[in-house]
Amino acid sequence: MGLTEKINRTDHLSYFEGQIPVEYVYTYGLGLEKFFRAIKDKGQFLASRCKACGVTYLPARSFCERCLGGIEDTVEVPGTGSVYSWTVVHLNMDETPKEEPAILALIDMDGTDCRFMHYLTGVKAEDVKAGLKVKPVLKAKKDRVGHIEDILGFQPV
Amino acid sequence: MAYQRVAIVGAGITKFVRRAQETGKELAAQASKMALESCGMTMDDIESVSLGTAPDAFDGVHMKGEYLSDGSGGWRKPYMRQFVGGGTGVFAPIHGWYHVASGMFDTCLVVCSEKMSSCHPHPQGAFKTIFDHTTEQPLNPTLIWIFALEMNRFMQTYGITKEEIALVSVKNKKNAMDHPAAQLPMEITVEDVMNSETLAWPVNRLDISPASDGAAAIVLASEHVAKRITDKPVWIDGVGWNLDTAYWATRDLYYPRYVEKAARMAYDMAGIKEPKREIEIAEPYDPFDYKELHHMEGLLLADRGEAVQMLLDGKTQRDGDRPMCPSGGALGVGNPISATGLMKIIEIFLQLRGEAGKRQVPGNPRCGLAQAWGDLMQVGTVVVMRR
Ligand SMILES: [Zn+2]
Repeated sequence: MGLTEKINRTDHLSYFEGQIPVEYVYTYGLGLEKFFRAIKDKGQFLASRCKACGVTYLPARSFCERCLGGIEDTVEVPGTGSVYSWTVVHLNMDETPKEEPAILALIDMDGTDCRFMHYLTGVKAEDVKAGLKVKPVLKAKKDRVGHIEDILGFQPV
Repeated sequence: MAYQRVAIVGAGITKFVRRAQETGKELAAQASKMALESCGMTMDDIESVSLGTAPDAFDGVHMKGEYLSDGSGGWRKPYMRQFVGGGTGVFAPIHGWYHVASGMFDTCLVVCSEKMSSCHPHPQGAFKTIFDHTTEQPLNPTLIWIFALEMNRFMQTYGITKEEIALVSVKNKKNAMDHPAAQLPMEITVEDVMNSETLAWPVNRLDISPASDGAAAIVLASEHVAKRITDKPVWIDGVGWNLDTAYWATRDLYYPRYVEKAARMAYDMAGIKEPKREIEIAEPYDPFDYKELHHMEGLLLADRGEAVQMLLDGKTQRDGDRPMCPSGGALGVGNPISATGLMKIIEIFLQLRGEAGKRQVPGNPRCGLAQAWGDLMQVGTVVVMRR
């Protein structure tokens, strides 16, 4: 959880440093590959619908977690949504202060049963409220690489 | 269901600290030895061992079960490690319960050990890797941020204020002043919580538990063995656990449905029909102050949105009608992830035996529970105990 005291002095203890020397190369997998290709090439949001369970997943998935049925088809959804909850974050992971506090939100994505976690842009913290309608802000097409950060954030409609 | 009745017969716990000089295995050995000595047993009497410990990344050893096995009494024993994130500390005794309840063994040593301080610059770096690597990690979320999202939703849904929630922190840190293992015992006010640094609104520094090093252990025994060891066995009468959707952001954050399902499983097993009346004392998991209230509702110990009123009415104080976290909880005793859950089990064990010393609640409670919560905020683990 969080620190209530920061240990900057370790010189009264015997210690040494270590690390795990590995890097990772991740595949998107069958479902997310479709989602990120559509973001990159068309700026579209692709979802997957399990007809048996009536659940629409965003981003697109290749299977349904409830029935484990495969999902081949994707459906385009608008990428808009409404704020479900939000926080104003002041610290980085190493507890150094952020230059500017950032607003992280959970967004109920229209036409789906899922929420996105992403940053809010173009809005002051005091103006955010539950239900605020937002739309995605994408990088320019030439800068998109097929990554979650192709979405810069969400801003009020 | 046919199974052996299982009792807790002994318990041990190390001091919880920000940075222990002891290694994780030394902490495990200290807690294990204490647990054995508390009931006059030796490793020769132990037929099986269950270890609970949280992410391998804390230690940078990707076989943490094996790494901690010597300190946990695993040498030449049927030994298993399990891990469900923050829920581990209450899952480990459930796992041990199975070993004995099944009839396979008559005794089991359950050990939970955590050393978070090795992880630099901060264990939050290890927590980052619990998120989905494609859709979430690139946004650099920390656990504090996602708890902030949940706390805000809980506040919004029921119109609860930060000041009200801060009372949980005030209560638990004060309770911890009577706990010999406590890392953050302190007498603070709501104003202190409100004035502490904002980490991720609405979460302030004093709303949350610390990172800790520490270990805890208990000894489980079947009925016929337990009765030879002690005249004060505490029975594990119900166990339950449950996991919600892997898409954590999609859950109803204001209500822990998976905790309810875990609790109902445990209540059914223990024959509990009215948890609000029958569960006299509880240790809900409280890594953040709002979580105690959130979990009381999931555990059906309060109606939805009503836990805060029990808090305001003083009912959850140690001398109240329904004491919550009389130990001081994760907020006060500290939060060495897996060891925290087992610390809660031990608190109920001691309270039901009338051996909690200055922390003893009045009224000679007969039935209590401990609960933990973890994975990506979607696993609930519950143990119901009776004397
Ligand atoms: Zn389905």
